[in-house]
Amino acid sequence: MGWRLTLRPYLLIVPALLLTCGILYPFGLGLYYTLFDFSASKPQPDMVRLHNYETVFTQDAFWNSAWVTVLYAVGAAAAETVLGVAVALLLHRSSLVGRVLEKILILPLMIAPVIAAIMWKLMLQPSVGVVNHLLKPVGLGGVQWTDTPAGALLSSIAVDVWVYTPFVAILALAGLRSLPTSPFEAAAVDGAGWWYTFRRLTLPMLWPYVLVAVIFRFMDSLKVFDIIYALTEGGPGDSTVVLQIRAYLEAIRFQRYSFGISYTIVLWAVVYLAAMVLVKHLGRIQRKAAEAK
Amino acid sequence: MTVRKRLLGVLADAALILYFVFALFPIAWMVILSLKPANQLFSTYFSFTPTLGSYRTVLGDSEGIPFVRFFVNSLVVSVGAVALSLLVGLPAAYASARWRFKGSENLMFTLLSFRFAPELTVIIPLFVLYQKLGLFDTYVGMIWVLQLVTLPLIVWIMRSYFADLTPELEQAALLDGYTRKQAFFKVALPLVKPGVAAVSLLAFIFAWNNFVFPLILTSNEAQTVTVGALSFLGGDRPKYNLTAAAALVSVVPPLLLALTIQRYLVRGLSFGAVKS
Amino acid sequence: MIGLRGISKAYGPVTALDGLELDVREGEFFCLLGPSGAGKTTTLKTVAGLERPDSGTVLLDGEDMAGVEPYDRGVAMCFESYALYPHKSAYDNLVSPLRSPRHRLPAAEARDRVHAVAELLGIGALLDRPVGRLSNGQRQRIALGRVLVRPARAFLLDEPLSHLDAKLRQQMRAEVKAIGDVQRTTTLYVTHDSVEALALGDRTGVIRDGRIVQTGTREEIWYEPHDTEVARAFGRPRINLLPGTVTEDGGFRSPDGKVELPVRAAAPAGTQVLVGVRPRDLSLTAPGHELTGTVYVTEVLGRSVEVTVRLGDQHVSLVAPRGDTAGLRPDDPVRLTVRPENLLLFEADGPEGPGRRIGKR
Repeated sequence: MGWRLTLRPYLLIVPALLLTCGILYPFGLGLYYTLFDFSASKPQPDMVRLHNYETVFTQDAFWNSAWVTVLYAVGAAAAETVLGVAVALLLHRSSLVGRVLEKILILPLMIAPVIAAIMWKLMLQPSVGVVNHLLKPVGLGGVQWTDTPAGALLSSIAVDVWVYTPFVAILALAGLRSLPTSPFEAAAVDGAGWWYTFRRLTLPMLWPYVLVAVIFRFMDSLKVFDIIYALTEGGPGDSTVVLQIRAYLEAIRFQRYSFGISYTIVLWAVVYLAAMVLVKHLGRIQRKAAEAK
Repeated sequence: MTVRKRLLGVLADAALILYFVFALFPIAWMVILSLKPANQLFSTYFSFTPTLGSYRTVLGDSEGIPFVRFFVNSLVVSVGAVALSLLVGLPAAYASARWRFKGSENLMFTLLSFRFAPELTVIIPLFVLYQKLGLFDTYVGMIWVLQLVTLPLIVWIMRSYFADLTPELEQAALLDGYTRKQAFFKVALPLVKPGVAAVSLLAFIFAWNNFVFPLILTSNEAQTVTVGALSFLGGDRPKYNLTAAAALVSVVPPLLLALTIQRYLVRGLSFGAVKS
Repeated sequence: MIGLRGISKAYGPVTALDGLELDVREGEFFCLLGPSGAGKTTTLKTVAGLERPDSGTVLLDGEDMAGVEPYDRGVAMCFESYALYPHKSAYDNLVSPLRSPRHRLPAAEARDRVHAVAELLGIGALLDRPVGRLSNGQRQRIALGRVLVRPARAFLLDEPLSHLDAKLRQQMRAEVKAIGDVQRTTTLYVTHDSVEALALGDRTGVIRDGRIVQTGTREEIWYEPHDTEVARAFGRPRINLLPGTVTEDGGFRSPDGKVELPVRAAAPAGTQVLVGVRPRDLSLTAPGHELTGTVYVTEVLGRSVEVTVRLGDQHVSLVAPRGDTAGLRPDDPVRLTVRPENLLLFEADGPEGPGRRIGKR
């Protein structure tokens, strides 16, 4: 009888553990592959130890990809945070317009990123796309959106912003709605201005919520794939080849499996480190916010 | 003062409307594109004679792209993935909410790290493995790999729901004479049912919207709409109207579902980190 | 009937129960009294089998309950949180035990039983309501009803009255004790309210830091408290505890020498002690050992008056009939009397705990 009581929780998680191992297995297998020179042209691979990683770190292509990835992640996360918080603040006023629009806030977020990229690709087409058509009256008719390096990166970020701004806005709005009202009433009684209230009250209390959103967005955009794959395929040239796209090209296009996986392992390490730092920071902020309340 | 206040209110509303134009215009434009006849595709922008021809073509498989089958595939693998995740995830979520023990904490952390792991780390080895095992381009293969998306979501969010539920309700049931299994099914589960429904739908949406797994691990038989929609852009002559129609058809299920679970989205999207 | 032998239970670094010993006799109404965090709820849940003790034995009818599931122990429990099923109606909450595999009553019989209990508790009209639409007092009755509907070896009641307002609490206190099933069934009743414990308990156990400090009838606990803290827990206004030392002849003297009492302490001269005297054992008129002081403040409590008197550096309070206190003003000199047999003597409170009671010669 006693052993059943002790074992019960373990029995309950066994299926999930097995399934998790089913996912961990390919991960471990991938890690193992990176020590070989496994590719479609070499199905009987030789052990090369850390040679793949050496190659990764000495390639210009890697550093280019890393740079593009960071630009993309920082740009997208920053833009989404600012825009998302702004939208949340505007919706929090709950004007009539706001209450109506809030209901459809999440629509872009529920569209598959790849579909979103397809939609924007159709709109950004330089000669027949609707965006250039609409910009013609302001004298910006022929912008080569996805055909210049800077344009391609900015366009990709724009699609990311289009999809994920609601994510930040939804979390920030939930945060705004859960803030205590008494400090704001006290500030109003003291005659504090809007800017002061925002800087000294709203923002610090809201920050833990926003930070959750920022963490999710930053880490997700470090491993962006769908949007770039559909919008630019990494082009023009290598200008938007982020790390996961590079890994895809190496492993699937050129069928150099071991080498491709090495790229993702490096990316995984970066994401993991970023997560550790950010989550630690979040914990500190949340504790501080809890104390302030 | 009041005039200034009202003016600020109008400005704020205007800013909001501006954002929503940005957010909604692409969807509206897709609707327009999808209703355009092929010959007016590039000659006009907003005035055209609407036709359902593009939808007929897309759903009639007449471009050599079996879109209806892709749609069904998406449905099967998404439902399958969610069902499997619920089956193994609910007990795990319950156990880890009720009893904190080392195994469950490790499991929870591993699942969370799945959420943030680059997909290709797992897919490339699976690409090799699936071809050996005969799982390439199959439902089973897709459902397995989609656990990477659905299982962490379901376990983490259901754990936060179960943790919010006081264990005393189940304890009361035990003292009423019910077994632990009955206490779970008669008391705990009915109380988190809205959470289960919401998280299932959200997991379904994420599974449906996934692109990189079917891109690499399927070729035709088990391919899904996200990959299918992209193939309309291929070929020498991009078929804008067909692409738009395919894109719209493929976003209908997630959009409809999303609107039904608005209230539960915050917790779902933040992995239970933010409750509302 | 209920026996706990050396029960220990820790939650991480926090010790909830520390070798707890307890015996509740067949048919007895036993109150477990203690402050929050003393381990009262853990004790109940251990008896119910909802918590597994780290060590020690739970006995029900002399039978070791180790490994026996809660649903097989045959005890009924009323939770402090009520633990009503929020998604069900009042009726479904009440009938839940009777539908369970353990009791499984035919539907008609179950319905009669629920109606009888609901009638008894005066909630007959509420049965169709969802519990979310009931007041605290009504929920409390439902929770109690869910305990009463089925036969049980023992009732375990966890602060069932604590969330009620004062008036309702007093009314329910009387009702609970009057219920026939409660009178017949062994009941372990947890409370932090000493008035409740004295009013309800055939015997009371005082629990502190996961141990039972004292068990006894209300007279034993009132007249022979184990230590100063037990003495302080019972009686309002609180017992007066005056510090001082034992004199050569076994008497008591306060440090400033203003208070001397003939207590006949069974302790060597010079021992640091506290002498305890309950406010109702001090009088302004009755004969006895006399003390003199000055009035500090008076407070009317209905028909009687609480008078706080300054005796040297000390304050003592007493409760006197209103007539005895007419004309008393602050700083008036006053003479009070105490019967030596009503005095309690304790060791001084120390860092290791409250001072224990010292016997008298």
